[in-house]
Amino acid sequence: MSAMFDLAELQGNILRGYTKKPHVRYLILEVADRSAARRWLASSVSGRGDGVPQITTGDWGPNKPDTCFNIGLTYEGLRALGTPSASLEMFPNEFVEGMTARALKLGDVGPSAPENWPAPFNEPKRIHLIATIYAEKVEQLNEVQERALYDREALTLLGTREGYNFPGDFVHFGYRDNITQPRFEEIHDPDRYPDRQPRAPLGTVLLGHPTNLEGLTWRVPLPAELGHNGTFNAFRVLKQDVAGFEEYLDRAASDLLKHPQVDELLQPGDEEKIGKGLSRRAALREIVAANLCGRWRDGTPLALSADAPDPKADLTDFDYVGVGDSRCPHGAHIRRCNPRGGQIVQRIANNSRRLVRRGVPYGPPYDPAKRDRDEPEPERGLLGNFIGASLGAQFEAMSCDWLNLGLQDPRITGSNDPISGANDPVTSWFDLPLKSGGTIRLRGLPRFVLTRGGAYTFLPSLSAIRFLGSL
Amino acid sequence: MPIPSDEGWIDRFVDRLPETRLFKLVASWILVPLWARLTPVKPLPGGPHPSFQHGDNVQCMMNLIMPLKDKSPVGRALAALAIAQNKEAIFAGLNNVGTVHFARFVIVGDNICMFSVYDGDFTNYIRDFIATIGSVFNAVVELVEGGEEVIPCEDNVEAFIQWVHERDLYQVPDTATDFLRDQEALNGDRAVSPVNDDLTLLPRKLVLQLRANPNVSLGSGYRAYPGFSVAQVRKHLGVGW
Repeated sequence: MSAMFDLAELQGNILRGYTKKPHVRYLILEVADRSAARRWLASSVSGRGDGVPQITTGDWGPNKPDTCFNIGLTYEGLRALGTPSASLEMFPNEFVEGMTARALKLGDVGPSAPENWPAPFNEPKRIHLIATIYAEKVEQLNEVQERALYDREALTLLGTREGYNFPGDFVHFGYRDNITQPRFEEIHDPDRYPDRQPRAPLGTVLLGHPTNLEGLTWRVPLPAELGHNGTFNAFRVLKQDVAGFEEYLDRAASDLLKHPQVDELLQPGDEEKIGKGLSRRAALREIVAANLCGRWRDGTPLALSADAPDPKADLTDFDYVGVGDSRCPHGAHIRRCNPRGGQIVQRIANNSRRLVRRGVPYGPPYDPAKRDRDEPEPERGLLGNFIGASLGAQFEAMSCDWLNLGLQDPRITGSNDPISGANDPVTSWFDLPLKSGGTIRLRGLPRFVLTRGGAYTFLPSLSAIRFLGSL
Repeated sequence: MPIPSDEGWIDRFVDRLPETRLFKLVASWILVPLWARLTPVKPLPGGPHPSFQHGDNVQCMMNLIMPLKDKSPVGRALAALAIAQNKEAIFAGLNNVGTVHFARFVIVGDNICMFSVYDGDFTNYIRDFIATIGSVFNAVVELVEGGEEVIPCEDNVEAFIQWVHERDLYQVPDTATDFLRDQEALNGDRAVSPVNDDLTLLPRKLVLQLRANPNVSLGSGYRAYPGFSVAQVRKHLGVGW
């Protein structure tokens, strides 16, 4: 990173992934006493290391911290702290209303609806502050948590969520993770991070800076020390049905074996290219998995290598400009979330809905050999953070129009994202592209991801934390 | 030949009462204001009702009514001129937004109105509209009551979206129960659950709502090709999208 502005002003988790700290714990907190909570905030940026854990900033100096600690505040949290009403009124509607009020836009319907969320997310107005601890060992998480909750007058613990980054950088559906994030102007050196996407303006992730939509700026809550260099986070607890996903791949592969055009999808004899020792059925499973995601499970983008995984392919340096359906389906998960420079209906929206994503899996990895069909699978999923300067223009716009309506391309309009969308097996579909230009339509996709909680939070700058602490 | 009736004269009198001039006057000037005072009704927000169904999220209607500052023929002429001078830029911008089926400007009384049919989320539509032609549209907004508070709209994105939302007509649902649901939703945490669906109160509730929202759009409207986005239509017609 080569920042041209003060990284010590930012909370560290905005621009850093903390990838060397695999254990992550979220503390879901309620303000117990306004004055004590303000003192707690002031202590968290005081520079003293003996009491409340210190907020990790973007500037680590010469020594990497052993643990990292960051916070986000909900609108109710800002109110509970006594933030002046003139400042509160300047926060955007979606943040004020909160995640549960935006359920329809986010596809949180049916079993994902907020009324089905377990505690503490069943009482969204009580969630005031979400603190996140990142560490190498669980004992460190415990130690930081103890310090964070030492003053019981300040904050009440409503609940926790804990995740662990699996060795090898893969996530529950078996795909490679930690591949790419937006690179920012004024922060990242383009020579060091080759990416065919343009570097994102700082306003993509920080309030008070130019955005990707030319001439448009987002409202910065005043006073400036409160809003400037802050950002917003959509924290999501996303349960993943890995067994259901693998079963769907089985079913799709079996159906494809009987399909008259299957050889166009996989030439007989090409199974070895997909994976060593794979049967034809197993290779077809992997082809379906790759097309649903837009990447092979090893991370190879289909846009660069449509026929087989390629360990030499660059995982980030690609675009969809001129990439037809035959190389990467328009409905594939990563293409839906970020169409990069490819043609889309909303012509000015290319690259404007990008988000910083920080996720960590929770629950045990899925092992089909250990599966007991008579017992329910343990809950597993992703604790995800989707960070951007405008929840409405980025996270919600992506979720609503792109993931769950497919508005960006007429060939996918009326379908949901195949992996994370709110699919109904009765109506869902996904088109597998063929080299001839035709498609094989897969049907009956169930919902693989359920929302089990979440909250919209504001990630204040260090100045803002001092401001709130001094109210 | 009239069907024999066993109604007495009192029944006939009561049935005819709402058609009498005196009763209409009493209802309009005394009864409805009294109801409104006893049971205040908030204006319902504009735009289509949020829905997760794909078909409900394409061909959505916006009926934007903007009262002019200058309520005279000269004011109306200025509005007409502002549209005429910027029409090409506005239409080119709408084309670039990509999700707009139709849009037209109409002067009704002392209002400049923009009626359009669009796909997807309302806030995305208006945000993309600002990003594309906000600077041009400012010339229209400055002629409208309250417009000065939200221009230049490029610098007041959130406020402008809210401003448009507040001037977009409430769309009365196609079913009575959905109308009652909208009224309950306004009560937020104080909403009665399950929804208060006493249909015998509907006429009174509708009268009071139309007092709070004098201008409304009736029902979801007719669509010749429901469920298709503008890009799907254009692709099918081979005119590019």
